[in-house]
Amino acid sequence: MFEDKRTGLALALPAAVFAAALFLLPVGILLSEGFRNADGWSLAPYVEFFASGRNRVVFLRTLKLAALVAGVSAVIGYATAFAIVSLPPASRGRVFALVTLPLMISPVARTYAWLVILGRTGFVNQMLVGSGLLDTPLRLLFTETAVFIGLLQLFLPLMIISLVSAMENMPRDAVPAARVLGANWFQVFARVILPLTREGLVVGGTLVFTGSMTAYITPAILGGAKVLMLETLLYQRVTVANDFASASVIAMILMVMAFSANLLLKRLATARRAR
Amino acid sequence: MSDYVALDGLTLAYGKTVAVEGLDLSIAKGELITLLGPSGCGKSTTMRAIAGLMTPSAGRIVIDGRDVTRLPPSKREVGLVFQSYALFPHLTVYENVAFGLRLKSAPDLDAKVRDGLATVGLSDFAQRAPRDLSGGQQQRVALARSLVMEPKVLLLDEPLSNLDARLRLEMRMELQRVQKETGITMVFVTHDQAEALALADRIVLMRDGAIEQTGTPEEIYSAPVSGFAADFVGFETILPDGAGGGLAWRPGAVVLGSGPNEGKVRGTAFAGERREYILESPLGTIKADTPAGAAPLEIGQSVAFDLPRERAAHLARLD
Repeated sequence: MFEDKRTGLALALPAAVFAAALFLLPVGILLSEGFRNADGWSLAPYVEFFASGRNRVVFLRTLKLAALVAGVSAVIGYATAFAIVSLPPASRGRVFALVTLPLMISPVARTYAWLVILGRTGFVNQMLVGSGLLDTPLRLLFTETAVFIGLLQLFLPLMIISLVSAMENMPRDAVPAARVLGANWFQVFARVILPLTREGLVVGGTLVFTGSMTAYITPAILGGAKVLMLETLLYQRVTVANDFASASVIAMILMVMAFSANLLLKRLATARRAR
Repeated sequence: MSDYVALDGLTLAYGKTVAVEGLDLSIAKGELITLLGPSGCGKSTTMRAIAGLMTPSAGRIVIDGRDVTRLPPSKREVGLVFQSYALFPHLTVYENVAFGLRLKSAPDLDAKVRDGLATVGLSDFAQRAPRDLSGGQQQRVALARSLVMEPKVLLLDEPLSNLDARLRLEMRMELQRVQKETGITMVFVTHDQAEALALADRIVLMRDGAIEQTGTPEEIYSAPVSGFAADFVGFETILPDGAGGGLAWRPGAVVLGSGPNEGKVRGTAFAGERREYILESPLGTIKADTPAGAAPLEIGQSVAFDLPRERAAHLARLD
């Protein structure tokens, strides 16, 4: 585009300096905290972090919940996205707007709504106890299930949006063509829809997985101190324990997990296509 | 049962909108039938119902003695070639043709795929991606993909309408050749009367979700039953006969320059070999043409004309 490569570089320079000074440098300093102890450079903070059974539980729980939310939202997302693209164009717009509506509501408000629904005297328990199904209310809040439900509701729209736009790019009659050629619905999905929407699944999967992993408000409100996730643990380490080394370790873990998830999903997508 | 494919009182609806109502049609084995009609007449809907992509709200579909009305598309042994080709972009030409065969683990898959590609003249394109092919080539892949499944009926939904005029003629002849070679029963959907006349053993002319007229191309072309049917095959002057029916003339059948009637030229257009005229007359609007070499008539000019009875089509209904 530019005759002179240097013109492009010069134009990019202000943004590069800005990003380096105000983002990369602080992040570097912060992360370097995790590679130091009293004697100088060391991996001790990492060793200490993973030596604690409680930390390992939080780490695995975070990984498990984020993967679960990504997986379940992919299943629900495919069904919803297929239903949306099968609608006539006029109503498609309306339903799509409904899907995106939650994204416009504050996550704090959305998460507090779950307190009302899942609380001891909340909607679900009133139904269960009121109908005589249970004698005492269930403890629904401050469980992994509550965090899972909250995260799923929070991030499902991102998966649906990614999959809808991927499906809109499929050739119009690809699905009926496969059905007439003898494919049942499972085969239509595995052999036509999935390969043609892989990019959308990678984007949606990465967004939902990293989003769930790094969410703070939802695990803080619905999980509390009973169901810590890495993000709530990080906050606790910094504000309660003033333990910057652990916090830095957690930040690094989150970053590595986010990048790995993206690379892994991309790898999965291209590996299957090469066959 | 002698009918190979039978549609029996078929009613098809999208929600509350009825697209086809009470349609009866039987197709013989090896027949090439075209469903002809303007857009919205229900011809594509009928075809989708035969393929199983749409569930009838009433009526039955029988293929080769088997009631398939409630069967999914995968169990019907029909082929469908889409207007949009609908090739799978993530698969090579070879894998597109092999798609259905793999699903039923067909023996001799490779030989069948190569045979299919050879039938449509694309043997050298097996490893290409669909997007690297021209429209005509993509259409041929779609055809091969359906043919290798050896369907009982091959349905074609306006398969030529996305091709340019020359390719269309070429593909039309190709389809006829394939049909002769394989003896396959074909249902061809089109809105183009010239295409229908050239291809079909029998034409089913549809209107508003019902059959208007069924007949050989000759019958449809020369003996329309109604004003609608006449208009659709080029009878442009349609007048009541005074007994509830009508009379219809093609532009070339109207005699200009002599005759008992008088009309005023309201419009004219040069169409290469012919010159076309629209006349306003006490009888109604008359459409006529003359050889291009004849002296042209001016707009506004009065001219005598004749509507010879022996060249008129007699319509049972005027509408």
